[in-house]
Amino acid sequence: MSTPRTSGRRALRPTAALTASALSITLLAACGSNGGSDAAPASDGRPVTITFWGWAKGTKEVVDAFNASHKDVQVTFEQIPSGVAGGYAKISDASKAGNAPDVFNVEYAALPDFVSQGAVQDITKLVSADLKAKYLPQAVELTTLAKSQWALPLDAAPQALFYRKDLFDKAGITAAPKTWDEYRADAQKLKAANPNTRIGTFFPDDPSTFEALSWQAGAQWFTGQQDTWSVDIAGTRTKGVTDYWQQLVADDLVRVQPSFSQQWTASLQKGETAGYLGAAWGGGVLKSTLASTPDASGKWAVAPIPSWDGKPASGMLGGSVFAVSKNSKKAKAAVEFATWATTTPEGIQARIASGTSSLFPADPELIPAAKAAFNTDFYGGQDIYSVFVDSSKSIRQGWTWGPTMGVTNNAMKDAFGKLGQGGTIQSAVDAAQQGTVAELKNRGLKVAQ
Amino acid sequence: MIDSATRTTATRTAATSRAANVRRRGRNGAPALLIAPFFVLFTATMLVPIGYAVYLSLFTERRSGLGFGEPETVLTGLANYGRALTDPAYRDGYLTIAQYCLLYIPVMIGLSLAVALLLDSVLARAKRFLQLALFLPHAVPGIIAALVWTYLYTPGISPVLDALNSAGAQLDVLGHPLPAVVNMAVWEWTGYNMIIFFAALQAVPREVLEAAVVDGAGALRTAFSIKIPLIKASIVMVGLFTVIGSLQLFTEPMILRGASPGVTSTWTPNMYAYTAAFERNDYGLAAAASVLLALAAALLSFIVTRATRARSERRTEAAR
Repeated sequence: MSTPRTSGRRALRPTAALTASALSITLLAACGSNGGSDAAPASDGRPVTITFWGWAKGTKEVVDAFNASHKDVQVTFEQIPSGVAGGYAKISDASKAGNAPDVFNVEYAALPDFVSQGAVQDITKLVSADLKAKYLPQAVELTTLAKSQWALPLDAAPQALFYRKDLFDKAGITAAPKTWDEYRADAQKLKAANPNTRIGTFFPDDPSTFEALSWQAGAQWFTGQQDTWSVDIAGTRTKGVTDYWQQLVADDLVRVQPSFSQQWTASLQKGETAGYLGAAWGGGVLKSTLASTPDASGKWAVAPIPSWDGKPASGMLGGSVFAVSKNSKKAKAAVEFATWATTTPEGIQARIASGTSSLFPADPELIPAAKAAFNTDFYGGQDIYSVFVDSSKSIRQGWTWGPTMGVTNNAMKDAFGKLGQGGTIQSAVDAAQQGTVAELKNRGLKVAQ
Repeated sequence: MIDSATRTTATRTAATSRAANVRRRGRNGAPALLIAPFFVLFTATMLVPIGYAVYLSLFTERRSGLGFGEPETVLTGLANYGRALTDPAYRDGYLTIAQYCLLYIPVMIGLSLAVALLLDSVLARAKRFLQLALFLPHAVPGIIAALVWTYLYTPGISPVLDALNSAGAQLDVLGHPLPAVVNMAVWEWTGYNMIIFFAALQAVPREVLEAAVVDGAGALRTAFSIKIPLIKASIVMVGLFTVIGSLQLFTEPMILRGASPGVTSTWTPNMYAYTAAFERNDYGLAAAASVLLALAAALLSFIVTRATRARSERRTEAAR
């Protein structure tokens, strides 16, 4: 930064500064070259080795278990940062540069964007009808784009409310909130009992929670009909969610902190934040985040996410799939691995037994295996999977992710960032609507608003 | 007539210059050989990527249907430049840089000048040690520095903020990213520029200072009326280098972004290019934004070179 070192104390030449400023270009161009892809798989009995990138908790254990039980295919796993924390950038760079792994994890929301970039291989021919029938229909729906199958779903991510039972008790709250009105009332009670306590957090750095809440409220941000996209981010259903959260933020009933940040963790550790609106996988994340916190274990509980009318309803918050990269010549082996990881009890057990994952398998037959493998001491022995099962049944169908979620999320995130300085959630929603439509048009796609 | 005369002159000129060329080549062969590795690297790592970026900036990816088919790369000429220049987010990036410079440069130069003057004064003890200690922050890589500062800015974790809190002062650093980034930069660069100023001060002729003392000037008067005017060239140079360097602002805000959502994805022009390429997958736009940024830096450094050269020429003439 600042004074360029290269030009230091000598006489300055124009090239020096040009050179410094060219660094960003160099970085950019370095990612654009086209490398060759791997040779065809060996057919002489030696195992096919595939490369795999992912970040979900317990993934390494899954790969180890797969490698131990398979002779024909061996997987080389590389842990990457989570999607929003740079993992997606890494995957698309590698894809542009022609050195993407054979198979990688992305979230449902990001899949259409990756398909649209041409980073993902169509695996329709490798996925049998039997295999497809194993997964939850909502999960299959989200991995089918333009009538082709693009990925195998790992987990469905029904929403859930994680909360500190002891703090709720202390504030005189006997049952977890069932409606958003009750959630607000409970937030007030918690704050009244202890002025430093908030019921939850609004995450300005990651719109996925807000998106899941809109999904839960019945919004449909994207609809693709024939060859035209309809974008309805700023619709009336979303407006209800927007106004509700704006009020919570304005009344200082929730914190505004980045998700999974040091601040967020610190406030959970101190009991200053008494709840977390997450999804099934959040159970493992919360547990491992607070693993080193004394006395945290046993105090947390899980409840279905509150709804608008008191009837169970859920969106999907996160949830990952296995996608095969465009240039992989080992798609068959990649699909074999992905099938094993998503539909066998061994695959799911290895993940959950790592102790850090509580994901909800997209293949409902695996739920008993997952349940048996997850240690629920942290949740006072509560049967958290039965909460997730109920919630998964209430996931609203018909939600579609658009092909420009990178742009949509960025527009929203940037505007959420101004919440502290007079920005509003509504302005973020509007920015996302406009940014998305502009980007779709820029890509040459038809948009009906 | 005229024709042949012209031709003769031309031939003679060509012959003369050819002879000169041969002579020159003979004399310059060794230096050319020694410089060659630099130019090879310079071409491979600078010119070629810049050329490639310019090339990339002329194309846009278009899709059809719902966008899930094979993307098609279309030549769109200067359209990407138009998109970058008309994007308020890109222009705001330059505005951020301007605000950053307005806050950062006076503070950093003021501090490093003050410290250099103190070290140069007769009062200072342990000069070597202090120089080293003050330079130390610069030896810490920018990313590490940004991570450490982000930790210190985070309420609930930072010992500094906790101490301030218990003293009754609420400081929301993460809510104000600009001063937060300026503070990081000041910490990192004050020592570096202090060394430059200190070296310049060492070169101030001692007899001039002695004359000032004989004339009855105190330490402060000497500093303001003798030392600072004599090292003005260094101060101007540091200032201009800093402006050009500031255009590159990237690492610190990028790290801070993880804790402070107020740092948008397009906070500085460099971040705009990064986001366009790696989060929006719009390589054409990213390349255009980068080329524009490079042009801005080139223009600035051209102005700097002209300004400094003009001054040194004036000085040489004055000396004559």
